Amino acid sequence: MKIDQETIERVAANARLQLTPLEKKQYLKDLQDILSAFEKLAECNTDKVQTSIQPIPLSDVFRDDIEKECLSQDDALSLTKHSKNGYFKGPKAL
Amino acid sequence: MKTPDIMIGLEVHIQLDTKTKLFCSCSTKAHAPNTSVCPVCLGHPGSKPVLNKKTVEFGVMLGLALNCDILPAINFSRKTYFYPDMSKNYQITQYEVPLAQKGKIALDSGKEISISRLHLEEDPASLEHKDEFSLVDYNRSGIPLIELVTEPVMNTPDEAREFMKKLLGILRYLKIFDMTEGTVKADANVSIKESNFSRVEIKNITGFREIERAIEYEVQRQREAVKKNEKIVRETRGWDAPQGITRPQRLKETEEDYGYIFDPDLVTISITAAFKKSVAEKLPELPVKKSARFVKQFKIDAVDSQVISADPEVAAMFEEVAKKANPILSAHWIRRELLKILSTKSLAESKITSQHLAELFILIDKKAITQRTGQEIMQKLGEKPFSPKDFVEKHGLSAVADSHELEKLCADAVKENPSAVKDYLAGEEKAFNFLVGKVMAKTKGRARPDIITPIIKKLVKK
Amino acid sequence: MNIREFLSNAKKGSIDVKEHSAKVLQELKKINKEYFYLNAMAESPGFGRGKISGLPISVKDCLCVKGMESTAGSAILKGYVPLFDATAVERCRKDGAFILGKTAQDEFGFGSFNANVGNGFKIPLNPIDKNRVCGGSSGGAAGLAKKASFPHVALAESTGGSIVAPAAFCGVVGMCPTYGRVSRYGLIDYANSLDKIGPIAQSVEDTAFILELIAGHDIKDSTSSTEKVDSYISALSKGIKGKTIGILEEGFGEGVDPALAKRVKDAISKLESLGAKTARISLPLNSKYSLESYYVLATAEASTNLAKYCGMRYGAHENLHGSFNEYFTEVRSKNLGPEAKRRILLGTFARMAGYSAKFYSKAGKVRTLIIDEYKKAFKKVDLIASPTMPIIAPTFDEVKKLTPLQQYKMDLLTVGPNLAGLPHISVPCGDVKGMPVGLQLIADHFNESLLFSAGGSYENS
Repeated sequence: MKIDQETIERVAANARLQLTPLEKKQYLKDLQDILSAFEKLAECNTDKVQTSIQPIPLSDVFRDDIEKECLSQDDALSLTKHSKNGYFKGPKAL
Repeated sequence: MKTPDIMIGLEVHIQLDTKTKLFCSCSTKAHAPNTSVCPVCLGHPGSKPVLNKKTVEFGVMLGLALNCDILPAINFSRKTYFYPDMSKNYQITQYEVPLAQKGKIALDSGKEISISRLHLEEDPASLEHKDEFSLVDYNRSGIPLIELVTEPVMNTPDEAREFMKKLLGILRYLKIFDMTEGTVKADANVSIKESNFSRVEIKNITGFREIERAIEYEVQRQREAVKKNEKIVRETRGWDAPQGITRPQRLKETEEDYGYIFDPDLVTISITAAFKKSVAEKLPELPVKKSARFVKQFKIDAVDSQVISADPEVAAMFEEVAKKANPILSAHWIRRELLKILSTKSLAESKITSQHLAELFILIDKKAITQRTGQEIMQKLGEKPFSPKDFVEKHGLSAVADSHELEKLCADAVKENPSAVKDYLAGEEKAFNFLVGKVMAKTKGRARPDIITPIIKKLVKK
Repeated sequence: MNIREFLSNAKKGSIDVKEHSAKVLQELKKINKEYFYLNAMAESPGFGRGKISGLPISVKDCLCVKGMESTAGSAILKGYVPLFDATAVERCRKDGAFILGKTAQDEFGFGSFNANVGNGFKIPLNPIDKNRVCGGSSGGAAGLAKKASFPHVALAESTGGSIVAPAAFCGVVGMCPTYGRVSRYGLIDYANSLDKIGPIAQSVEDTAFILELIAGHDIKDSTSSTEKVDSYISALSKGIKGKTIGILEEGFGEGVDPALAKRVKDAISKLESLGAKTARISLPLNSKYSLESYYVLATAEASTNLAKYCGMRYGAHENLHGSFNEYFTEVRSKNLGPEAKRRILLGTFARMAGYSAKFYSKAGKVRTLIIDEYKKAFKKVDLIASPTMPIIAPTFDEVKKLTPLQQYKMDLLTVGPNLAGLPHISVPCGDVKGMPVGLQLIADHFNESLLFSAGGSYENS
């Protein structure tokens, strides 16, 4: 399957990955190779076939609306150094 | 059909009033930051979502209340995009198949606003912007929301405001939304004929009054732009309420591709006919039906009925009062006077009971007190409730109907205000009202205008 | 010494479990210096009281262990110390297991050779020949299971074959149960509709023992099954008289080492001599499309699972500078390895507007057809047999020469049952050029017992 450099860049940007020029070249080749194999799926007739979200039929799993113990603020913040006054710190959002 | 000048559609996000979040058992009511969080709503690797049954029930309730078709089987999807308020950088929502579709809300004019879809999704965390970083509180992360989308069939900002008001009324009846702490946010898409309906989306407007303001501003902005020969670009703008303007948000070079997939951690949910029936049975009588019933049953004014039916507590109050006092008068007074009080506090906070109101309305009905006295008593009831009957007696507020006393007071008023008399005789109606006002002042509002008017007229003619 | 013997000795008192544990830790450190099977190790021997008190259990790095760094083999999760145990781990721990440490794996499970380790991680070496790979992605688990002289079961995980493939390459038993049989709560996701947790050990008996312990419904995992858990231990001795083994035609043809194929055929003959019948079975849809369907679904799901790794709340961080897009991109680009990036790109592409119908939606429907094909086959046969892998464990040099697509194609015999969520087992059945060969048996959904009966019979013959 033919895809171009612009497509790789778009997909990488969507996934928040910065690729070096070498990586772009390599992944372009890899993706073309692999996607061409994926294209084989088109030969399989799937008219009127339902998709399988899981391989076992599963349905109707719920939880009751009952409060359970949650983490303490300290525990929640313990896994990062990016915190301040009980808040998580994140990168600039504007 | 004539093409409208303006097309407005709304996308509304309603926070559901459940005890716990959509996919985890953390409380929905927390205050100090990050104190109602767990591995699931923090997006810790290894955690998995489990669906809160109550949210499906609430969703079906709202769908039925809005006359929607409820789908027999629903799934959840992942909408992937990156932002600092996202705990997983994908939102669990419903995409391919919503919970309900093809509903409607009728406006007072009779016009029906079509609701294309209604679905469940999780809220992201709350974000505070600082200069060089952001502060994130995950208490909000995972809170259950219903997203409701209308067709772009509203044609004025007022219609949009009315739609939101009606929607909120229904939510109040269903008790699936916390009126004090819950939030309702809307995005509005607005387009005008002059630009060939090039759609602009205004995001994150809070409150139905702001919705009207924002849309009004945007229509004006677009019209002015067209006059200046500027192109209306399809874009997303944010509503800046304090400034009263919309401003463009980050222009994206390409629209974020959300790459939807079914969420494989969650399973298909069946909405059976039996389940729908059990939910339908729990539905309260909703505003449209209730209003029609009030008119039929109590013969009250249609507009009064519509207004008082919009709020379940007010409607219940009316029905209680109508058992004891004149329903037509009660409806009128509740609509005009009680609602004034309710603009500053809730009915519960006011502690006004049907007994208080019934007493008052009976006095007014019998003409035992004047309208003005009635209004004053209503105002006082709003501050702290009391028995109107006792109050009237104690303060001697009965309407003055004794004609001798009134004749004397009218004569005094005429004698004391010769220039007003002259003006009235010269044709100024306002001067007459001035004289009536003087008599009312002398009686501290207890004179019945219908009695003193002929007296003054007679005196003046002399 | 297997689990049964260990527990009986401990009960009798002929083993001092505390002393034993200290020795285990020493041996573990030695093994690890040479073979790199562990990303993290218990600092001291600790375990509670219970049915399996003191039994050494290693845990694949993608399974959360409370208080122990759990990275799923990736640099982006360096420093992530879970606040909870995975359910499977909790079930072992509460019965007294001695949690040894976190075994090495391909980053997030992305590989069939355990050669795609995360930035800064070491590649585990095959226990029989250090120039060869362990197989993946549960390489560390299989390697340790083979090398350890102490009784031990490795908790491993499979998405496309990552339990049975390394088991075959390392000459141990790998058992992958039905999808949903063991709770995925606490498993750091590769692909949620394909991930399964299962044991790797030196004997079929040991895997049966542990599976019985960890299987069963969990309210914290919406996809975990409510099916009753059989007694797998009693299944071991039930034998396979009268059961039909379907010999998979496509499993012995093109791409499969003939010497290896012969070993597997001999093993099947052995099972015949123990009372099983055989039949020929062909799964054309499976052989044509299961690899592609698997990789599309797995990468699509994985690309969404990995979106959360962006330097917030846990794991690898940078200093907060730049806009959020710049920050996220920096953390991810620096800390994700090449195969992780490749699969994220593939998966993102497969579900992008314009391509989603052709790849993601299509693959989901093809999966349905493949499951149907298996179901029809199980009406004719009770088990499906083939080699686990088409080759013996390759050398590191041989692996380097493979393109990504060629690597993916090594999964051709294991993707089928993984895609369909079917239970399957790999049992060692001889060697070729000194390297072990595995016999793979697949059973219908929730028929783990039959696999234990077959494996148990073979093992004891």
